[in-house]
Amino acid sequence: MDRFNEYRIMWVMVFFDLPTETKKERKIYADFRKKMLKDGFTMFQFSIYLRHCPSRENAEVHIKRVKEALPEKGNIGILTVTDKQFGMMELFQGQKVKKPDTPYQQLELF
Amino acid sequence: MIKRTLYFGNPAYLSKRNEQLVIKLPEVAKNDTLPESFKQKSEVTVPIEDIGVVVLDHQQITLTHGLMDSLLSNNAAVITCDGNRMPAGLLLPLSGNTTQRERWHDQIEASEPLKKQLWQQTIKAKIHNQTALLERRRDVNTKNMHYWSDVVKSGDVENHEARAAAYYWSNLFPSLPDFRRGREEEPPNNLLNYGYAILRAVVARSLVSSGLLPTFGIHHRNRYNAYCLADDVMEPYRPYVDDMVYDIVDKGTDYRELTKDIKQRLLQIPTIEVVIEGERSPLMVGVQRTTASLYRCFSGELRKISYPTF
Repeated sequence: MDRFNEYRIMWVMVFFDLPTETKKERKIYADFRKKMLKDGFTMFQFSIYLRHCPSRENAEVHIKRVKEALPEKGNIGILTVTDKQFGMMELFQGQKVKKPDTPYQQLELF
Repeated sequence: MIKRTLYFGNPAYLSKRNEQLVIKLPEVAKNDTLPESFKQKSEVTVPIEDIGVVVLDHQQITLTHGLMDSLLSNNAAVITCDGNRMPAGLLLPLSGNTTQRERWHDQIEASEPLKKQLWQQTIKAKIHNQTALLERRRDVNTKNMHYWSDVVKSGDVENHEARAAAYYWSNLFPSLPDFRRGREEEPPNNLLNYGYAILRAVVARSLVSSGLLPTFGIHHRNRYNAYCLADDVMEPYRPYVDDMVYDIVDKGTDYRELTKDIKQRLLQIPTIEVVIEGERSPLMVGVQRTTASLYRCFSGELRKISYPTF
């Protein structure tokens, strides 16, 4: 099944720092975050959201949607990595090595 | 794009939040001693727009109407299973395409000769794929199969399909010399039935998204069958399921019961690699090419359906 290889599957990560001084700014922040959640992003860490995309084309769609939702102020980064690169990430909880708990698969059994 | 397949074989609460499918386990959701934050963490969410097929295979699955609505509007195929855990129902949207009426019209008004030609192409492709599978798996004479696939007439009036099928099934499973293909027959027919049901759901879903009505077939016209066109179009794809079942039987797996492992194998049917006109793609994407080309045949833009070659 080399159609679904680890170089084709992409992970889109969005990093953001938005101002939250005033009530209005907090509203803008909450709206932006909500839009990300609606698009299928999940929180990876505070202010870092990520989404699994089965192909490059699909990743482009979601990047485009994030760009359309960009708030006026604040710093936002969008990074796309292949599944291969994503799988090489080292995760720790304190000093303990943690396993990534996002086993996205084409088929999932519950 | 290849969409995700979700299979629910255990009790589950399914609902929608932020356009995401939320999966909760009843033991966790009902347990009042657990803190709310833990409950939130034990939930699994799946973007609804990424879902292609949902299989509901447990009597204690609860789903909300909002979720069903979203699944349908994202054109997911929802399969429900009966008490025997065999697929029983299929939920599809009524309007899967923007030019729905025009497309239904083209399909229903398709001329008899056109339908016969399309059926001829379908059977040719089916026999060709059956032959290829026999050649790959078994060392038997396939001259007759090649001949039959070459001489299929418009509408397959001489019923070469049945002749090829008889030869194919009597030779496919070497360990089962008395094998008979049938809905109620002995295993591994249960595996084939299950696999075909999944395939049928994939095809029906794809037909709907191409704006076609799965009910009116080009050949099948059983008055009790609601998926005649899906049954027509899936014919050349059946050997892919047969190949998978062959593999399970060949490996010496105990296939008398449909175990979880076997279902897991069969649920991967949408990801099988198929080749259409020299291009490789997952079966689910391939089926979409087939149904799109079928519509263009109905509308007169095209004369040939794109079927995979095994």
